[in-house]
Amino acid sequence: MVCRQDQELISDYIDGSLELGEQAQIERHLADCESCRAVRDDLLQIVHFSHQLPQHAPSGAVWSRIEADVMEERGSWFRTVSWWAWLRTRHFNLSLPQMAATAAAVIIAVSAVVLVSRQDAAQNNAGVIAPRASGIEATPLSNPDFQQLEKQINRLSETVEQRKVEWDPELRSAFERNLLYVDQCLAECRHQLNNNPADDVSQELMLNAYREKVRLLEGFERF
Amino acid sequence: MSVTAERSPAASDLELARAAAAGDATAFEKLYEQHHRRVYSLCLRMLGSVGQAEDLTQEVFLQVYRKIGSFRGDSAFTTWLHRLAVNQVLMHFRRRGVKLEHTSDEGDFTNVVETPLQSTRRISMVDRLALERAVGELPPGYRTVFVLHDVEGYEHTEISDMLHVSIGTSKSQLHKARMRLRELLTK
Repeated sequence: MVCRQDQELISDYIDGSLELGEQAQIERHLADCESCRAVRDDLLQIVHFSHQLPQHAPSGAVWSRIEADVMEERGSWFRTVSWWAWLRTRHFNLSLPQMAATAAAVIIAVSAVVLVSRQDAAQNNAGVIAPRASGIEATPLSNPDFQQLEKQINRLSETVEQRKVEWDPELRSAFERNLLYVDQCLAECRHQLNNNPADDVSQELMLNAYREKVRLLEGFERF
Repeated sequence: MSVTAERSPAASDLELARAAAAGDATAFEKLYEQHHRRVYSLCLRMLGSVGQAEDLTQEVFLQVYRKIGSFRGDSAFTTWLHRLAVNQVLMHFRRRGVKLEHTSDEGDFTNVVETPLQSTRRISMVDRLALERAVGELPPGYRTVFVLHDVEGYEHTEISDMLHVSIGTSKSQLHKARMRLRELLTK
């Protein structure tokens, strides 16, 4: 029983939290007792190794679930911020010629949007309605990533359209607002790529815009 | 000051937390990237189940998202986050009626002295994999105190606050947990 009482102090002893008197008492006991020394050594190893246990990673699905939860709680605003935050924080490593080309591309894209807007207005004034595909316009690009994302977007859009009738006006407005942001960005990228199909920056922007649209639709699909 | 966190690795937790509180999803995702392993590992060790640990990790980060605005930077973000994670696990235990107090079925060690180990066996007794497995076999009460103290580095005073037990109980549970681990590791 003496050993048992001393063993109860061994954890405090190895943690260094004993009073001086108790510490001296247990050290005297350890000097004479092989069994208690064995316990001390084992516990020291356990404590030592427990500080070094490896960290584990959850499956990737956990982040997807967190994102979905956040979307559900916050509605669209978070997504909007996400999209613009991505654009704001994106770091492009461009050489001088690439920067010049990018600047030119932006100017061309803006000019193209203005030009197309005027043409649309002129067509509307003449009573001509341009044919538009539902959901997303067909892209001239043959990138399989784009095609796959477009298919996904079309499928999600159908579901969201069905769900939309049950939404309250606030939710509907939030959705439309976000969709407009993403679609505007897609339109700009598409015009840019029509002019210069080899423009890597616009391709990347467009790919991300497509993904953002998928995430947006997936988020609202749940409502 | 811009609320958008830079994507550089140098962005501090505090900067990321402020940006996330202002609605920057990228910053929130970055915080997840930086801390999810430790949170998940804590949950996994305390719960002993991959599925439950993933559910709790999800719940913890959802709480982070909800409460990030209340993080003022008075303490380290990791301290705030891990306290939040521990609270979530403890709430999970309470919801499921898991008793963390010592109960009679959590073992007794009156016979420990009668089975001393050979010194050569002791030297190689512990390896991390075996320890990991043995921790998973501890009863919840022992496991909780052991993980909080020996793995996560909490003091007995903090554990007594978290678990609403006395410091003496926390120390006693820890010692019994270590002794149970010793027993499991020498089987």
